[in-house]
Amino acid sequence: MILDLERFQMQARPRWSSLDSLLVALEGRPDRRLTQVEAEQLQELYAQAAADLNRVTHGALAPELRQYLERLVARAYAELHYDPPTRAEFWQPRRWLRIFTLFPETFRRQSHYFALAVLITMLGCALGGLAVRYDPASVDVLLPADYLRDPGQRVHEEEQGKNQGLHSTQNEAAFSAQLIRHNIEVAMLAAALGVTFGVGTALLLFENGVLLGAVAVRYAHQGFGLFMTAWLLPHGVFEIPSILIAGQAGFYLARVLLRWREDRDVRQSMREWLVLIAGMAMMLVWAGMMEAFFSQYHAPVLPYGFKIAVGGAELALLTAYLLLIGRRKADAESHTRVPSENK
Amino acid sequence: MTNSEPIRWATTVELTIATPEGVLFRLPLAGPASRLYAMLLDIAIVLGTVNGIGLLVYWIFAKAPGFGVMVITLGEFAIGFAYGALLEGFWNGQTIGKRLFHLRVIDQAGLPLRIEQAWVRNLMRVFDALPLAYLVGGISAVSSPLMQRFGDRVAGTLVVRQTPLVVPEEEFWTRQKYNSFMDYPTIAMKLRRAATPELASLIQDALRRRNELAPYARREIYRELAAYLQSEISPFPDELVEMLSDEQYLINAAGALFGDQRVSRVHG
Repeated sequence: MILDLERFQMQARPRWSSLDSLLVALEGRPDRRLTQVEAEQLQELYAQAAADLNRVTHGALAPELRQYLERLVARAYAELHYDPPTRAEFWQPRRWLRIFTLFPETFRRQSHYFALAVLITMLGCALGGLAVRYDPASVDVLLPADYLRDPGQRVHEEEQGKNQGLHSTQNEAAFSAQLIRHNIEVAMLAAALGVTFGVGTALLLFENGVLLGAVAVRYAHQGFGLFMTAWLLPHGVFEIPSILIAGQAGFYLARVLLRWREDRDVRQSMREWLVLIAGMAMMLVWAGMMEAFFSQYHAPVLPYGFKIAVGGAELALLTAYLLLIGRRKADAESHTRVPSENK
Repeated sequence: MTNSEPIRWATTVELTIATPEGVLFRLPLAGPASRLYAMLLDIAIVLGTVNGIGLLVYWIFAKAPGFGVMVITLGEFAIGFAYGALLEGFWNGQTIGKRLFHLRVIDQAGLPLRIEQAWVRNLMRVFDALPLAYLVGGISAVSSPLMQRFGDRVAGTLVVRQTPLVVPEEEFWTRQKYNSFMDYPTIAMKLRRAATPELASLIQDALRRRNELAPYARREIYRELAAYLQSEISPFPDELVEMLSDEQYLINAAGALFGDQRVSRVHG
């Protein structure tokens, strides 16, 4: 041991405690902004503490003092190199509303991953449809629920109003909340499964496609195509694209993880992923409400033509929103930058 | 600016950060057990909050229970996701559970957590929680050198232990007026050179816990330590050692290791 610890600690203690109290003050401040004087003071005290740490590490056997100084230096380092978002960025409503334009912009920027999600779902649909059409034995496997397996009975029950007892605004509200929650959970999982380098996302989309294709072919084959279209379209036009967007987010995440080293702008990548998820969740809220409050009413209460028209109008609006919103602005900026927070 | 990036390397228990200005410091990583306890506490807080709000909502919507269910279902869901993300984002990487267990989420470069990182690592919980009881996340954390679950890997974050520390007080063995070992400077120097930091802190810990140890255990531990030092590290003359108890031997050794380096103050 080279260092005279006793004398060293006696001399250094005052500067350690002033660094500590400066850090305590800064850490308690929500925006963590430094004034000019504080910044200079912090820089100086940090440099001294770092030098002290160096001396203790190499010149003394004092594990606890070393640990104490390491903690102090780590905190000062974090404060010095942290670039907090400004308070204005948090509390401007305009910033939060930006999500409504950011979402379609991001969707378009990453549209190739959306195309991949569509392709995999279509493959699933084709498999499910063909299986149900040409291999009756597969019906039991692919469509476990009775109401999916036996469309005739379901349509009859629905049109007779057998389930009408269930239709009350009360029940619909509860039902919509459960749908929203379940769908967001499934979609979130599809987006998070990107961490399996997209394999999990692909499997989930494929499975979803198989079920969709099987139901569609089963109903259409037995002559209930109109009923099914009217039943699924009003909420499906939001629900299915949002699952596809979740898949898009999943594939995007997989790509980001695969090129982690070369892609330096990780922060921007994470924002894109979060924006896609936020948009998808908003779409699923709407889909859940439509499914509970609108889709479950059938002819004669609501004519099928009207339901299909509503679904078509929704689809047109959604397409226009995703393809057009923010386009002019994006053209104006050669390189679109995503400012601040979006969730 | 690759050269301004801090260099990092990790052992199983700590992360060492070398900053661009050449400062080197270690951050102790949080183990899976403390993280689990913090998470269980957070879950309890979320459930308590949700149920509290739930009672209030049922009371408000007493005549329309369906709406009550809707508000609760969505509220529970939103609070479950937002609790961790918002608290960690705005409270410098800590939730209530993490604060009580002295844990903090930080950026893996040693910087404070950013808000988007907080969201990413919390949204990724749907994957880490698979197939049940955070099995995927747990396996990921145990197998990762930085103890990161998948959410941490994606967000580039890690959880560190932050027990509050104070400047350590001086120990009595650095202040003793007379240390007979210092009369033999060459052997004392041999002791200082041969003692590893682990051995030094073992001696220090043994002395510090003098009053916590049972008399028998203390006698045995001190005897073994002193015998080891005497036979393997620094053989002080037998006529000196015979006069010392094992405890005094260790106090002298600690004084030679940690205390004043000059030859004994009284005689020197």
